[in-house]
Amino acid sequence: MKPRDLPLNTDLSLIMHIDLNSCFATTEQQARPLLRDRPVAVVNRRTFHTAIITASYEAKARGVKMGMKVNEALKLVPELIVVETDPQKYHFVYKKLLGIMRSYSPNVVMKSIDEGVIDFSDTHRTINTSNLWAIGIEIKQRLKGEVGNYMKCNIGIAPNRFLAKTAAGMNKPDGLTQIDHNNLYDQFTKLKLTDLTGIARRNEAKLHAVGIKTPLDFLNTDEMTLSRLVFKGKPGRDWYRRLRGYEVDAAPTKMGIVGRQYVLESKGLSREEVLRRLHFLCQSTAEKLRFKNKQARGVVVFASPRRFSKGWGVRYLAKEPFCSTEEIYEKVKTLFASAPAAAEIRIIGVTCYHLSDLNKRQPHLWDIPVGLNESLNSTIDAINYKYGSHSIQVADTLGLEKIMKQKIPFGSTRYFELI
Amino acid sequence: MQDEIEMNEPAEVIAAFRRGKKYNCWPVRFVFKNREVEVKEVGLAYPIRKNGALHHIFDITDGQADYRLELNTARLVWYVTREADHYEAT
Repeated sequence: MKPRDLPLNTDLSLIMHIDLNSCFATTEQQARPLLRDRPVAVVNRRTFHTAIITASYEAKARGVKMGMKVNEALKLVPELIVVETDPQKYHFVYKKLLGIMRSYSPNVVMKSIDEGVIDFSDTHRTINTSNLWAIGIEIKQRLKGEVGNYMKCNIGIAPNRFLAKTAAGMNKPDGLTQIDHNNLYDQFTKLKLTDLTGIARRNEAKLHAVGIKTPLDFLNTDEMTLSRLVFKGKPGRDWYRRLRGYEVDAAPTKMGIVGRQYVLESKGLSREEVLRRLHFLCQSTAEKLRFKNKQARGVVVFASPRRFSKGWGVRYLAKEPFCSTEEIYEKVKTLFASAPAAAEIRIIGVTCYHLSDLNKRQPHLWDIPVGLNESLNSTIDAINYKYGSHSIQVADTLGLEKIMKQKIPFGSTRYFELI
Repeated sequence: MQDEIEMNEPAEVIAAFRRGKKYNCWPVRFVFKNREVEVKEVGLAYPIRKNGALHHIFDITDGQADYRLELNTARLVWYVTREADHYEAT
C-alpha cells in the first residue's frame, strides 16, 4: 500500500491523556473553599506587573488569560482574586494524580505538572480489561475522592498520543472524549488548526500558504504535500501518520538544556550585586544538573533589558564536563565581563547545554584530589534535600534565597523535588 | 490587592481522629488570638517537610475566612500560618 493511501488507524484506543483543568487555580479553589466559583488568578509574585500563570474557569470566562499581567486582568475583572503559587500544595496533587495513574499501568509519562499520559497497550488484556471509557470515569471519581470534590480533569482517549491530547482539550471543563476512526472526521470539524498540539501561529501560516485552513483540510492532505511543501521531510511524514491515529510521539523527550533566569527585583543594582545573583543562578543550575544526574560542557549567560527582548548573551564550550556551582560560576564570571552596564539589565539567566550523563570524570592533573568535588557536591545535595534547600549554600549568595525564591515554571515538573 | 495575612500564631486545637475517613485526623475547632473558630470544611490536607520535621498542613474554612493550620509532628504543636478573608468584594 502506498503511504498516501494510508487509512485511518482502526486499532483499539489504548492511550489516555489526563489534564487537570486550570490545575493551580482549581487546586487553590479546592484548598480554600471560599475561592470556589469566583474568578481567581495564580501568580508567582503578588504584584500588579506580574504575569498570570493560570486562571480559574470563572476568570477565563471573563477574558483573563495565562501570561496576562495582573493589572490588565484587574481592568477586565475588578473583583479578581490574586493568589500566590504554593508549590508544595501542587506537588501533593501531582503525586496523588500520578499515584492514581500508575495504579492502572506502569507506562505513565507526566508531560507537565498538570497532565500525563497512560499507555494501556501492554496492560489492557490482562489487568485493565474494562474499556477505557469506564476507567476514565473511575479516574475522575478517584481524583475527587482522594484529593477533593472540586477537582476536575479532562480526559482524552485515542489510539495515539496526539489524538488523545486533542480529545483531552475538548469539552472542558471535566470532559471525557474519545477520538478514533469512527468519529475522527466529526471531531475535527469542531476544531481550529491552532487547537491541534504543535500547530501554533507559524505552522498555521505554513499550512494556510498551501490552502490548508482547517483540521479536516489537514487530514485530507496527502503525504507528499505535507513532507515536501509544508514541513520538509520527516516532520511532514510524521504529521501525516499522527493525524490518522498512528503513534509517532512515543519516544521520550531528551533533555537538552538546564538553567534558570531571574527578573531583577529592582532597578539600579550594582554590577557586583548582579554578579551575586548570577552566582545564585549558577548554584540553582548546578543543583538541577546533579538532580537529573547530568553534567554539561557548555554554558550561556545572558542579560536583557526586558522579557522576550533579545538582549546580550555569550556562550562557552569547555573541553571537560562540569556540574558544580563554582565550575559554572567561574565561566559565567569571565563571560559576564563583556556584558552591558548593570543599569541596563532587567533580566539575567544562566543555561547549561551539551549535556551528558554524570559519571566519574577524568581527574585533571593539577586539580583537587580525585572524587573530592563529587563527594562534596553529593553531600551538600543530600543535606539540602533533607533539611530544605539552601541549608548549605555559597557564602556569596547568602540571603538571596529569600529574594530569589524558586517558583513554579510554566508547566515543568522536572525539578519539583527541588522546590 | 486582596488581604491575605501570613503569620505563625500558636493555636489550641480540638482534632478528630478516625481511621478510614478521607483524612485520618482533622481539626474540628481551634482558638488563636483569643478567637474561637469552628471548622466547617477541610479543603485540602497534605504533609510537607520543614527544617527536617514533618508538618501536616490543613487548609480549612469556617465559612467566613480561609485559614491554614499547621501541625508540627516533631513538637506536636499547632500554628495558624495564614488567614485570608478578602471575599466580600463580589
